[in-house]
Amino acid sequence: MKTTQKWNIKDVITTVLLTVLLIVIQLIVNMVCMANDFVSMVLSVGITMILCAPVYFLMISRVRKHFVSLIYMIILGLVFLIMGNWYLLPYFFIVGIICEAILWKDGWNSKKKMIIAWSTASLLYNGVNLLPIWFFWDTYEAFALSSGMEQSYIDSFVHYYTSPGWLMFIILFTMLCGFLGSLIGGKLVNKHFKKAGVL
Amino acid sequence: MRRKNFAIPVKLWVLACTIIGISLTSDTMLTCIFTVAGFVYLGFQQNWRLLFSMVIFYIILMGLLYFIRFHEFHPVVFSEFYVLMFWNLTPVFFVSWDLITTPPGEFSAFLSRVHTPTSVILGLLVIFRFFPTMKSELKCVWLSMRNRGLTAPIQIVRHPMASCEYVLVPLLLRCLQIADQLSVSAVARGAERPGKRGSYYGKKVGIYDYIWLVLWFIVTVVFFSIGGVCI
Repeated sequence: MKTTQKWNIKDVITTVLLTVLLIVIQLIVNMVCMANDFVSMVLSVGITMILCAPVYFLMISRVRKHFVSLIYMIILGLVFLIMGNWYLLPYFFIVGIICEAILWKDGWNSKKKMIIAWSTASLLYNGVNLLPIWFFWDTYEAFALSSGMEQSYIDSFVHYYTSPGWLMFIILFTMLCGFLGSLIGGKLVNKHFKKAGVL
Repeated sequence: MRRKNFAIPVKLWVLACTIIGISLTSDTMLTCIFTVAGFVYLGFQQNWRLLFSMVIFYIILMGLLYFIRFHEFHPVVFSEFYVLMFWNLTPVFFVSWDLITTPPGEFSAFLSRVHTPTSVILGLLVIFRFFPTMKSELKCVWLSMRNRGLTAPIQIVRHPMASCEYVLVPLLLRCLQIADQLSVSAVARGAERPGKRGSYYGKKVGIYDYIWLVLWFIVTVVFFSIGGVCI
């Protein structure tokens, strides 16, 4: 059955509600992971992506319209804008367009396309941590120094994002988590939500 | 004493000024100017609960920052970086929370008046009502899990993925039900009807609103002139 591509009120409310849930999960995981620098800088994005994948899958499978990913990414970018990282809004806009391009031809019917879209989003979500260090290093360093950190501590703190080995590990780990999360998300959607008749 | 609310344009203006100030400042410590102005702003609206909790939170942050900067204190469980980040973001947090907890009727009335598309108004209202709704839903999920003996720490540690599933699946199902109920309610109240809509909650901009519009502009100018701008 072909569904109309015009957004209705139910689509708007579902998209916004699940988007806010996704963002809240991301922020809570980030806050909890702040307890340890290694977990915060290396593992937190991966953990976030595993936990958020089922929500993303449900959102795409339920709304079944274009621009769902784009709206999610724009709202996420706006949250980062409110937190003072204005450059993440255009960044997430571009990430949203990439996800939309992957899902463009009825992506909500294809588990494979949704897995690729979420794995790509997971890979690019690393920009939250990497962009400030790569492009706004001076501001970042000044901020860290004024927070009371010593230079040697800052160097070890950002070591994970400047050494190629750690960088490779973070990127691969995040993508793998995104991929695993997608597989779990797909299974959960089939196991619970399709059976419950909400899709 | 009952809480008074400034008009929505004032709250949006205050939020915009604070975000611009926090984003473009070159001296993070000076964000305390916005924080102090924000405390007065909350006090003027008699939003005592938020004011009290934010003052305590800010005093704790201030103490931590003092020990980090002047006594070489390095917290074990989190980085100094996050202490300053929260110090920096505190004014944005409470100014946003003040906006979010504004009665939804007043907020939607203002947005309708400035010809905001219905979908955007509904989206914003859903965001604003998300936190109280989710709080009660999570409480229900937790109670159900406790009845089935699934909240014991040993159970959560031994089966973390299953525990996540037990929380996530009912929560998501409830989210979808809430989305359905809200959309039915919105359609029944004429949200899809084309044409101009009125509202019971229209609020006029008073003299104090104008005063606070100007005051926040002055605070922002003073903040930038003392601390400088860094893009």
